Amino acid sequence: MSKTLRLQIILGGCVVVAAVLIFLWKPTVLIYGVQRAGLYAAIALPMALILGVVHIVNLAHGELMMVAAYITYYLSRSLGVDPFVAMLITAPVMFGVGILIYKLTISHAVKGPELNQLILTFGVAMVLSQLVNLLTTSQTRKISLDYVTASATIGETSFGTYNFLFVGLAAAVLIGLQLFLKRTRLGQAATAVGQNPNGAEIIGIDVQRTYTIVVAIAAGLMGIIGTFFLTKFSIFPAVGGAYTMKSFCLVAMAGIGNLPMIVVSSLILAVAESSIQAIPGGSGWAPLVFFALIILVIMTRSFRRSS
Amino acid sequence: MTESYQLRTEKLTISFGGLVAVNEINFSLSPGEIVGIIGPNGAGKTTLINLLAGLYYPTSGRVIFNDEDISTRPAHERARLGIGRTFQLIHPLEDLSLIENVMNGFLFAQGMSLRHARDAAAEVCILLGLSDLDRPVSRLNILETKQMEIAKALATAPKVLFLDEIMAGLNSTETLTVIDTVKRIASEQGLGVGVVEHVMGVIRQLTERVVVLDGGRIIAAGPYAEISRDPQVVSAYLGEAHDAED
Amino acid sequence: MKPTRTTGSVIALWVFGVLGVFVAVLPLLAGPYAQAIGRSVLTYLILAVSWDMLIRSGQLSFGIAGFFGLGSYAAVMAGKWLGMAPILTLLLAGVVVALVAAAVGSVVLRLRGMYFAITTLALAEIFRIIIRNWNNFTGGPNGALLSGVIFGGNAAATYTLMLVLGVLAIAASEWFEHGKMHFALTAIRNNEVVAKSSGINIYRYLLIAFVITSAMQGVVGASYAQQFGFVTPESSFHMNYTLIPLALALFGGMYTSWGPVVGAVILGVLGEYLKLYIPYGHLIVYGLIIVLVLLLMPKGIVGLVRARMREVSHD
Repeated sequence: MSKTLRLQIILGGCVVVAAVLIFLWKPTVLIYGVQRAGLYAAIALPMALILGVVHIVNLAHGELMMVAAYITYYLSRSLGVDPFVAMLITAPVMFGVGILIYKLTISHAVKGPELNQLILTFGVAMVLSQLVNLLTTSQTRKISLDYVTASATIGETSFGTYNFLFVGLAAAVLIGLQLFLKRTRLGQAATAVGQNPNGAEIIGIDVQRTYTIVVAIAAGLMGIIGTFFLTKFSIFPAVGGAYTMKSFCLVAMAGIGNLPMIVVSSLILAVAESSIQAIPGGSGWAPLVFFALIILVIMTRSFRRSS
Repeated sequence: MTESYQLRTEKLTISFGGLVAVNEINFSLSPGEIVGIIGPNGAGKTTLINLLAGLYYPTSGRVIFNDEDISTRPAHERARLGIGRTFQLIHPLEDLSLIENVMNGFLFAQGMSLRHARDAAAEVCILLGLSDLDRPVSRLNILETKQMEIAKALATAPKVLFLDEIMAGLNSTETLTVIDTVKRIASEQGLGVGVVEHVMGVIRQLTERVVVLDGGRIIAAGPYAEISRDPQVVSAYLGEAHDAED
Repeated sequence: MKPTRTTGSVIALWVFGVLGVFVAVLPLLAGPYAQAIGRSVLTYLILAVSWDMLIRSGQLSFGIAGFFGLGSYAAVMAGKWLGMAPILTLLLAGVVVALVAAAVGSVVLRLRGMYFAITTLALAEIFRIIIRNWNNFTGGPNGALLSGVIFGGNAAATYTLMLVLGVLAIAASEWFEHGKMHFALTAIRNNEVVAKSSGINIYRYLLIAFVITSAMQGVVGASYAQQFGFVTPESSFHMNYTLIPLALALFGGMYTSWGPVVGAVILGVLGEYLKLYIPYGHLIVYGLIIVLVLLLMPKGIVGLVRARMREVSHD
């Protein structure tokens, strides 16, 4: 026990030292890294919720965000409202999409082999991205908003401030999920189901209903997160795929079921990524660092698990 | 002529986290010998077998086979060296038929060709009293499953064989059948056999020597008649109820 | 002691064989358009077969596109920088991809289940990013062009090439299904602990399967690139090369040599027509097939037929 604690302290120390060094080198790297970490953590948290409770890796996770972004995009365009107003419709719609996806697909595979679950959610991901492709073509879409260009200057460094919103979003999602899991009856039931589905069934928890609601909540959150994503980034049907992988990496790094650690793993990966980008000629290689880290993290995680 | 091989351990120890599951065990098994391994639940019997078969590697201590330290050899190599075992919870390979399940040992531990492996597997199955060998394993009854489990272990050409609660779930006639088979094979092939059992009748009928484990340690060893009267063994089995009386 | 075949299955085998030869030779008689469709079907057929060969060990790969793309680039680079003959570049691509798969596999084959699956997905991405950034060798984001295409674009010749590769792939798959490989991979899939105790070196067999199937994907990628004479990071590593083979293999039936073949022939031909009617998003069909097959007939068409035949023979 104390050994892992010591390891965590050493690791934490290294991270703080690295952060200070990076800040002294190029302050914007740290600022953009933190902003990006907010985005990554926000996206990864709902995946962690599903993995922790339903024990399924939802390979359609990034696609849920993509679908949500498209819904908000078209709502906001056709109603002429701000995306954040449209979000009030998108989130409940995505909640419904979550219920639908669970009832139609995942519910039939929760007790099946892991391979089938993976292939199934991969199939769902493909259906979602191709459906959007079919309906809207693969053209890139973006909403231009005035307020996203907001910036601030400290000393001689000037940087965009809008993306701090993602940090707030991640914090809100994390706190919201923690409160849900610990303070509400439904959340406590979900925690119990996640730890031991058979036991939960014996004490009278409706496992299928809990799974449905958890998937729906995750999808609903993706409705909100997808809207935030849209306000800043361009969207296209395949935009979600990379986020599925990144989210899985973050969840695996944090340890399945450990939501707060996702924030820490997001910080590490995002700052590493933005550091590479800051090196001249490094911007093209930044994604490579991320994927190499994915493999490294998964390898060390699973080694620890097996030994 | 019997080979002069021997399996032994020196202070074999494994701990999981803080729990020492097997604690400085010195165990040995000689050709043609049938040894009982008994003890209450959680005593470390199956863990000991897993250490010998290479599914776990010891935290400290050694496993020695034919004067060679095999402590770090992986499981598949130990199967090839001649350490065979059955599993307490039997998992037949459900996508292979009965005979194909048995063929694996001939194919991989002994390196036979497919045709030879099939003939050899059929022979072992018949030796154990199995028939209709192309059946899917889902169609086997419990006795047949146990017989197949022994056949699978024999297919690796073991020099020592560990049977982990192979009698569990069998009725008394079936148990007798399996006892006869094990005795016959052990004497015919000069096998050293380690038997983990909860049914003391089986231990009495089958074994010449018994090792009693409790809390990962050997607390007694000797012929069944002797150890069954050992007060330490009695107290281990009676457990907390006995402690409370003290 | 081999199980004797019933007369019914012997007849079925013959019918199937004759039909197979007919379907395979048909495009040679029917002209360039049919040959183009046939080439495309065979491309995905080989990918589907190779994917199935690996999943027989229980290891699910989402990395087909990665090795396909790597093979494409290996072939085009060999043609561009070394002036190697097109047909030889196929061989080279197979060797290069096999070496990469051996190096990568020696590490990632320690992983299981979701960890392995997602790592293979990430691998495909890594290959693409490296190639995209390696400007002065690969041509970077713009890709690279060959001065000509294989066999000077002769449709019948390229079709024949793909047919030969297809037959080789099916032969490899049959070898996996009827040899020691079948026992090793099935045992590993069903229960690794039992497999080890039978003396199976799990790591070795997984590595063999991974290297062979990856090399197959690399050779297909190479032949594809040679047919069109160019590569780009986006098109050569396209997700389709993972998605479509998966759908075909599932539809036909996993864990058999003939499932992916049946799936590829039926859906491949169907897919070519769909492409004409819905150019955008015709791929949704493959996604839907994956979902529907898993939910409604997880053993695919071959599984259904086998179950039906068993019923008939038991009646």
